[in-house]
Amino acid sequence: MALNGRLRDDGLKSERLLWPTKGPSRFEEEVDNLEQRVGLTTLAKAVAWAQTNSMWPDTFGLACCAIEMMSIVTARYDIARFGMEPFRGSPRQADLLIVSGRVSNKMAAPLRQIYDQMLEPKWVIAMGACASSGGMFNNYAIVQSVDKLVPVDIYVPGCPPRPEQLIEGIVRLHEAVKAGVPPAYELRSVAS
Amino acid sequence: MAVATQRRIGAPVYTGSRIPQPTPSVLRTSEEALATGDVLTVNFGPNHPSTHGVLRLIVDLYGEDVTGVEAVIGYLHTGFEKNMEQKTWWKCITYPERIDYVSFQNNEYVFVAAVEKLLSLEIPPKATWMRTLLNELNRIHSHLVWLGTSALELGAISMFWYAFRERETILDLFELVAGYRMHTRYFQVGGLAEDIPRGFFPQTRSFCDWMPKAIDDYETLLSRNKIWLERTEGIGLLSADDAIALGQSGPVLRASGVDWDIRRDEPYLAYHQVDFRVPVFPEGDVYARYRVHIEEMRQSVRIVEQCLDRLERMEGEPWIADDRKVVLPPRHELHTSMESLIHHFKIVTEGFRVPEGEVYVAIESPRGELGCYVCSDGGPKPWRVKFRAPSFVALQATATCMSDALIADMIAVVGSLDTVMGEVDR
Amino acid sequence: MTTPAGGWESVPGLADVKEAHGETTLVVEPRNLIDAATYLRDELGFGFLSDVTAVDYLGWSSKGVSGFIGTPGGRDLNRPMTQGYQALPEAKPKRFAMNYHLLAIADHPQRVRLQAWVEDGEPVPSVVPVWPTADWHEREAYDMVGIQIDGHPNLVRILMDDDWEGHPLRKDYPLGGEPVRFSGEE
Repeated sequence: MALNGRLRDDGLKSERLLWPTKGPSRFEEEVDNLEQRVGLTTLAKAVAWAQTNSMWPDTFGLACCAIEMMSIVTARYDIARFGMEPFRGSPRQADLLIVSGRVSNKMAAPLRQIYDQMLEPKWVIAMGACASSGGMFNNYAIVQSVDKLVPVDIYVPGCPPRPEQLIEGIVRLHEAVKAGVPPAYELRSVAS
Repeated sequence: MAVATQRRIGAPVYTGSRIPQPTPSVLRTSEEALATGDVLTVNFGPNHPSTHGVLRLIVDLYGEDVTGVEAVIGYLHTGFEKNMEQKTWWKCITYPERIDYVSFQNNEYVFVAAVEKLLSLEIPPKATWMRTLLNELNRIHSHLVWLGTSALELGAISMFWYAFRERETILDLFELVAGYRMHTRYFQVGGLAEDIPRGFFPQTRSFCDWMPKAIDDYETLLSRNKIWLERTEGIGLLSADDAIALGQSGPVLRASGVDWDIRRDEPYLAYHQVDFRVPVFPEGDVYARYRVHIEEMRQSVRIVEQCLDRLERMEGEPWIADDRKVVLPPRHELHTSMESLIHHFKIVTEGFRVPEGEVYVAIESPRGELGCYVCSDGGPKPWRVKFRAPSFVALQATATCMSDALIADMIAVVGSLDTVMGEVDR
Repeated sequence: MTTPAGGWESVPGLADVKEAHGETTLVVEPRNLIDAATYLRDELGFGFLSDVTAVDYLGWSSKGVSGFIGTPGGRDLNRPMTQGYQALPEAKPKRFAMNYHLLAIADHPQRVRLQAWVEDGEPVPSVVPVWPTADWHEREAYDMVGIQIDGHPNLVRILMDDDWEGHPLRKDYPLGGEPVRFSGEE
């Protein structure tokens, strides 16, 4: 979410992709109106607060990191206090893609497909050494870092990262969103 | 097909064989069903909340009946075996842990055991008992993850939290012993990497005192639960003959009425010196596999207690073999002994050499027979390492278990086969 | 490891028997594989096929080779650690070995390894009619090492992509991956 733009420029982008000449809808006009009256910064901050407090992850557990990702849902590490315990099965309903585990060449296409199916705004956390850089598997089968496929916001190192490490990554993502840092797809494209 | 009929209990689950022909692992829709034009082909894609990882099932549905099933794997293929051919024997040990990432210490152990067999190395008893203890703790850990996730997939969501509560306690024990929760890398060729830290025995004892009550909790939730019984009894039938022909092992085989457990029948580590019962049930359905898992957890707690009894009297004994050609010398010796310095240098730079030969070692991992085939050329690196993963074989049985089943049963069946995709794809 | 009452000589097509590390290896010619397998399953009770392992012995007794030969123009990730070794192992009869690890689930369990040697392109008959579990194992042997299996009902790639070229676990297939910067290996 860009703090220096107008709120109606965020979201609803997909509609404009399909219908470029469409003028602002009734909803967008009302939001614009509200923005003028309430003040840009306050509204953007409110939206960012809402986004971070219910950023629902997608079930994308691949390998060992998935087991540690499952344990952050459990009672000891409890990410329900961040509003993130509903792991959505459908990427259409998810905001956050935690790529947990090694991505093989065969899995690269489904990963990109899942990412494309998510609606904006969406964030990606590369969890673990294998998702961040290929890990200990520098070979023909593993994609050397998931940022060759999707733009990544946060890299969480570890093999596998402790649940506390992953929660630290998630909390830093929340802080970045609240500070106005746009999601990674607006900042950079995939690595080469 | 005349297979050995020894070690069977109970009546056969069904007569004849339900293994699909011509391809044993693919259930094909019959021509009549295809001719109706009502068959829908659905992709249970690699990203699915209920498929235990990246498994792709191509399912033909006739209404709710599953008429065709084919499993496509390889979405987690990591090239372990090729990578291990490039690393020295010591560095290789980190890799097998990540193959079956839920029962990681069993994987470590099978590789280390194969190397020790080639080296004909004698392991000190303290290391043997500690390895037994850790393998059994890992078995409980694996069964807890299985229980939590399988029940979650069938809708018994609370089970997940209960099972993972105990799992956290076990991971605390691993962290106390080896410094990390998962992928502990605590087993070394020759014994253990380090001595057992203080505080481990009392904490494990209190875990063993608590665990049977926790298992009672799980049974209260599920074992006589009407919905659980409806979803799992009579589902996914697999007879003993079919199970052996399909190479099943572990809980799947024991739930089909075959009394075979490598820990008791081909004992390794300290299993011939501990007293435990092997649960076998004749029904061959998902509920029987569930019962086997629960009972195995209870027996594992018993084994852990017996290992603790022995280990508490082994204070001060060596935890790794004394063979300086293979095992690093203790650090204080490096200041005084020239040979130790040379040994240390050679082992760290070139790596120790394993004599030429090939071995196959099989152990009872929580999923079944985990085998490691190691071929050495006499050098510091393996020539070929192959892991026989029980989940790889278990997934082939999906087609047989799914003859005459509904789509809701498929989740129960795939869950009950206890597959870990890291193992399947290696 | 105890030999059966009749000794291993009764296995049809047996070429050699090797004993090492407490394990028995029965070597058969590929054309006799099905007969030997059926005899072992029906007469001697080896009804459980644990594992099918294909091994590539290319360069086995060449000096300086330990596990991987660099392709021309490809990186030899082997180079920093290879020291060579004093004793070179004896040459193997052919390039590929197919190992079938069998188990007899009986009151006195037994394990044995059935071994068949083939060259590149020489086919091995499929043991799926004998042990149905060999289905995916043989597909993996074909996918990873490129062994041709005759009579397999569904011989397609299993672990790699369907259109992948090459067989990754062969010794002349590079490890792949990316060069690691500042590691001295570039």
